[in-house]
Amino acid sequence: MRFTIATAFVTILSCSLFASAPHAERAERLAFFEKKIRPVLMEHCQRCHSIEAEKAGKLKGSLRVDTREGLLVGGDSGPAIVPGKPKESLFLQSLHYDGDIRMPPKGKLSDAIIADFAKWIQDGAVDPREDTKTVRPRSPADQMIAAGKNFWSYRPVVSPTAPAVQNKKWPLQPMDAFILAKLESQGLAPAPDADRRTLIHRLYQDLIGLPPSLAEVDAFLADSSPDAYEQLVDRLLASPRFGEHWGRHWLDVARFAESVTLRGLIFQEAWRYRDYVIDCYNRDVPFHRMIVEQIAGDLLPASSLAEQQRLRIATTFLMLGNTNLEDQDKQSLRMDFIDEQLDVIGKGFLAQTITCARCHDHKFDPIPTADYYAMAAILRNVQALEDSNVSRWVEVPLPLTPAEEKTFAQQEAQVAQLQAEIKKFKSAMTAQAAKAGKILALKDIPGIAIDAETAKKVGEWQLSQFSGTYIGSGYVHDRNEKKGEKSITFEPAITRTGRYEVRLAYASGESRAEKVPVSIFSADGEKDLAINMKITPALDGRFVSLGTYRFEKNGQSYVTISTTGTTGHVTVDAITFVPEEEATKKISAPAKKQPSPGDQSHLAGLEAKLKKLQKTAPKRPMAMSVKEEPKITEGTILIRGVVHNIGASVPRGVLQVATIGKPPVFPKDQSGRRELAEWIAQDANPLTARVYVNRVWHWLFGVGLVRTTDNFGTTGELPSHPQLLDALTQEFVRDGWSTKKLIRRMVLSRTYRLSSDGATLTRPADPDNRWLAHAHRKRLTGEAIRDKILSLSGQLDLTAGGRSFPANLASDYGFQAETNQRSVYLPVFRGAMPELVAVFDAADPSLVTGNRNTSTIAPQALYFMNHAFIIEQARLAAVSLLKQDGNPTDRAYRLTLGRLPTDRERSVIARFLETQSDSKEAWSAILQSLIASAEFRMIR
Amino acid sequence: MLTPISRRDWLTATGCGFGALALAGLAHGETTIPQRSVAPHMGPHHAPRAKRIIFLFMQGGVSHVDSYDYKPRLIQNDGQKMGFEDARVKANTGKQTSDHRVMKPLWKFAQHGQSGRWASDLFPEVAKHVDDLCFIHSLHTEGVAHGPATLFLHCGSTNFVRPSMGSWVMYGLGSENHNLPGFVSIAPSAGNGGSRNYGTAFLPAIYQGTPLGRAGGPASAARIQNLHGPLTPEQQRSRFDLLRELHQEQLRSRPGDRELEAIAESYELAWRMQANAPETLDLSRETPETQSLYGIGEKATDNFGKQCLLARRLSEAGVRYIQVTYGDSSANPAWDQHSNMPKHGDHARAVDKPISGLLTDLKRRGLLEDTIVWWGGEFGRTPYAQSNGTGRDHNPGGFTVWLAGGGFQPGIAYGATDEFGALAVENKVHMHDLHATILHQLGLDHERLTYRYAGRDFRLTDVHGHVVREILS
Repeated sequence: MRFTIATAFVTILSCSLFASAPHAERAERLAFFEKKIRPVLMEHCQRCHSIEAEKAGKLKGSLRVDTREGLLVGGDSGPAIVPGKPKESLFLQSLHYDGDIRMPPKGKLSDAIIADFAKWIQDGAVDPREDTKTVRPRSPADQMIAAGKNFWSYRPVVSPTAPAVQNKKWPLQPMDAFILAKLESQGLAPAPDADRRTLIHRLYQDLIGLPPSLAEVDAFLADSSPDAYEQLVDRLLASPRFGEHWGRHWLDVARFAESVTLRGLIFQEAWRYRDYVIDCYNRDVPFHRMIVEQIAGDLLPASSLAEQQRLRIATTFLMLGNTNLEDQDKQSLRMDFIDEQLDVIGKGFLAQTITCARCHDHKFDPIPTADYYAMAAILRNVQALEDSNVSRWVEVPLPLTPAEEKTFAQQEAQVAQLQAEIKKFKSAMTAQAAKAGKILALKDIPGIAIDAETAKKVGEWQLSQFSGTYIGSGYVHDRNEKKGEKSITFEPAITRTGRYEVRLAYASGESRAEKVPVSIFSADGEKDLAINMKITPALDGRFVSLGTYRFEKNGQSYVTISTTGTTGHVTVDAITFVPEEEATKKISAPAKKQPSPGDQSHLAGLEAKLKKLQKTAPKRPMAMSVKEEPKITEGTILIRGVVHNIGASVPRGVLQVATIGKPPVFPKDQSGRRELAEWIAQDANPLTARVYVNRVWHWLFGVGLVRTTDNFGTTGELPSHPQLLDALTQEFVRDGWSTKKLIRRMVLSRTYRLSSDGATLTRPADPDNRWLAHAHRKRLTGEAIRDKILSLSGQLDLTAGGRSFPANLASDYGFQAETNQRSVYLPVFRGAMPELVAVFDAADPSLVTGNRNTSTIAPQALYFMNHAFIIEQARLAAVSLLKQDGNPTDRAYRLTLGRLPTDRERSVIARFLETQSDSKEAWSAILQSLIASAEFRMIR
Repeated sequence: MLTPISRRDWLTATGCGFGALALAGLAHGETTIPQRSVAPHMGPHHAPRAKRIIFLFMQGGVSHVDSYDYKPRLIQNDGQKMGFEDARVKANTGKQTSDHRVMKPLWKFAQHGQSGRWASDLFPEVAKHVDDLCFIHSLHTEGVAHGPATLFLHCGSTNFVRPSMGSWVMYGLGSENHNLPGFVSIAPSAGNGGSRNYGTAFLPAIYQGTPLGRAGGPASAARIQNLHGPLTPEQQRSRFDLLRELHQEQLRSRPGDRELEAIAESYELAWRMQANAPETLDLSRETPETQSLYGIGEKATDNFGKQCLLARRLSEAGVRYIQVTYGDSSANPAWDQHSNMPKHGDHARAVDKPISGLLTDLKRRGLLEDTIVWWGGEFGRTPYAQSNGTGRDHNPGGFTVWLAGGGFQPGIAYGATDEFGALAVENKVHMHDLHATILHQLGLDHERLTYRYAGRDFRLTDVHGHVVREILS
């Protein structure tokens, strides 16, 4: 719409303003342009903003200044000049260097030149450089979307009938007919079926990511029943190992990780999401349901507490981006966070590169910027971060079962009771300690003491004497309002460099805030603490210690107490900096009586009990999740994606080009996530089911029908078998979006069972094997390589789920997992990826990965040659091999390569054994070499 | 423009035999192969002026006003409160200016060399080389905090996951040495983006940087992973020979299977790397004179001296992109003197002689001709005291880096900050421009060094960056 108005504007202007200027005046203004304006434009602007720049592909900001129309139509930020209105002209603003756009980039022009431009614009921006040919207003968004709907992936899914084929015996099901028909039309024939030994290995790896045991292979080879294969498929689909393997596929797409690279901060609760995904695959939760759960689980009704927990955990999906939480511009950080969410939603579910439209309309796909901000508006209605210097992701307590709730309630009651007891005892003690002792003068406090009254305050702080215990004339509190807008800062005059204990005095009580952020800046740097003001301060009922730090004479030192994120009153009485050597001294009130030693030890006992209880009792379980904002709003476009550059408003919405039928209506009292999710998950969405079916095809066959699994836009590839993709999609939707049924259909096809050996025959005709005359030979993932090694050494631990790192781990630096659980359970730390998995093309956990890389690099070879893990597992495998009966060579080959050795291979092994004196060493060497060998990492 | 095709398919389609391409292919991975090019990398786009680069990363942000950007006004106005455009205040509150106490440089400035370039006595040894250095005083960047700015420095983006500069260079130029990784990061920091700062993001894995050791760790920890293992050399040899035989048999069953061949060949490469890399990494092969040139053996300079010497040995061996980090993995890394500015002196002592030694050594070996040495941090520091204390805050708005060798004009100073050193004002050079200029010297056009991912062409410089031709010789 913006552009249409701009175009209209140009027309009106050229008719009225310029035409009506008297001739002489116009001549004078033209001369001014030639003398003062044109040379500057040519010298300073046109290198990047002209037809030449456009032709060289170097045009910046889509703005041209080499024609009048270019300036009037403007660039990405809108019209560059508004004739007669210098103040409204972006061009002039940018010359002034006082906004986000500052031009020219090399340095501000002289004031005289800027004044010339102001005058020129004021006088109507007379400009002889007319050109309506090369500058065209951009096509309006509506047009772009209407045209876009003709692209294959935005068209509704059709129901094609299976094509006729010549070789009628070959297809086992309709799917095969689509493949065969294409092959026949290309003059190709399908390869023979793979042998049964190959098939059982292929099925095990593709369905559960583990090799079959030798007994399982033998049983399958011996099973002559006609449905042996089908039974095997069903067994594997029902195995709990299935979810571990297929869950990992989805975790690649969901860019699942358990830390951020910034300071290696740990996502303590992300593992719950991993377990949720595995569970979904094991229980075959319909995929459209999984979509809604992951985007809006917290907004869905739940029939049980367990379900409520599941749904809450599902939304961790929205939280896992590798965000730079330290960005100081918190508005910008928030938009980057949302951008990342849109990226994973867009690529993951829709295979759309939505985030390309953040700064401008999508250059290739029919996605206008307005669509981006319509979707961003939905996510702006939820809180995912709590702002701080290093912002923190939101965690919410999980709803509990009545039994658990009872345990936690009991324990919390115990804590409360102890606290009350301590409080009562203390107040009795302090009452005893005489009324005179309750109010202290500043001079009675040891150290460099500062009263709250004289500290630097931001926002309104109320002075109070209500508690009766205070220093100076009272303490201050924040009135429990305007949270986040108030702070109080103490700056001591340190006269001697040294270590000081910092103590904070506050007025405790039940109505107080629990997590009051306090930061201490010393020569040691900045330290952030949270103080619970419900608790009576430990020192004299008045002070808590904030720790001991080094402060320098005249150095930067301060303590700031803020109200950000607090609930309840924040109170501040005083701060004192006590030299370390004096820190043991008691605070002595003038007429204060010391409590008796008996009382003191009773109190100490109570406090120790409380501390122990708080430390040892289980923590309330939390989940990484979002919180709905209290106020629901619609959106605004941010011009060129800059948060401070606010453009037109847009209501919440979804991708228009992929909307068939009515767009969703968004409720006034909710973010709109549920409607967004339901729009994505609806049967009629032309993208979602196709994208998912293609992903499953890719994971099973090694190459998608659309090879760009995460991009179904115009820059992605076209499907090799569009009708087959639609047919499978229709069936998938009819089956209620069941992943297991979809997999079952695919693996029961004849196409899936083709041999991968036919490669050389069809190569010249179809070098990429797009027509699937034979199976693609796939590589094992790093996870599968590790699991296979652990299973052949007998070390695989099938314990499932749970947090797989110490609960108190603060950063991922140098972390090494010591577990033999399946690889999917290794912590996915972005700064400390499990080495084996990383070296074998792990999905980058910061990016949506539907299609992993396949590389052959020397570090993989070095890993197999030298890593202690491989050498040790090979040794253990050798020990176990030597305990078994039968031919060890056969056994070793079957375990590692899934086949019997050739005669030549037998003799290689025999010759090697002759050179070795120690059989354990010899077999360790053989197993290591087999594991390292090329075939080990292949799925044939 | 690259089309992703599998390596073996490409080999078949182009009809080349495996043997001739084995090494090149292995060294560059196999997921993406450029068409019409034998070696799987893009460039160079034009005749390069430099073959390799050594980036000396001063993590945390060296104060430019205490080192190379001489501002007499800071001495004149020392101690006075004045209004500055503080990047942190601006980001947090939107406030354009805030009052701060001007702090004079703590080190004495003087003009040095024939060129008369200004330098303080913070780096007395490097000051002797000013006639070989090309100073940029008007650098500015994005990100006020370490995390964003460090990522911007390395990957050209404060937040988005993008390939690192070294990976881009590898993608553009490939490696000169097939027995060593082409992109090495010595003692990288785990913090502030950690591995992302030498990662490939969406570029193929082969362009990944190889970390040697860790920031703040001993130089002796600078090793290539899995180059050595628990086996004896005899065990290794016999297992390697057995593996070769097993591979021969596997290939016999599948003649012409290029994927199997490629894996077999990767072991040959690993074997050669194992044989050659230890020698390159072995500093004891250097003469005592050379070692002492780098300050090896002296307490203050031993560690960084070893790392610099290692950088020279690697560059001599044909490693394309070498980064040496002086820093650590903390939230307030090495040079981050928010308080206690004199601490800069300790860090300077640790790096001054090693860097000077590196420059001397490169020059006398004729390596400086085609090696770029880039010295700098993720940002500079403010000309005023942070919160009236004894330190300086981060300053992304204007700071100094220097470049040496590699076709940069020696002995010049380009661009300027304002009279206080707060903001770049004259001939401003953005970090994107610096990236573009360095790529240019390596023979790469930053606008053509693109990679198609998720439907669009990505660049190190995004849609920005100009080559600063004025500083090229």
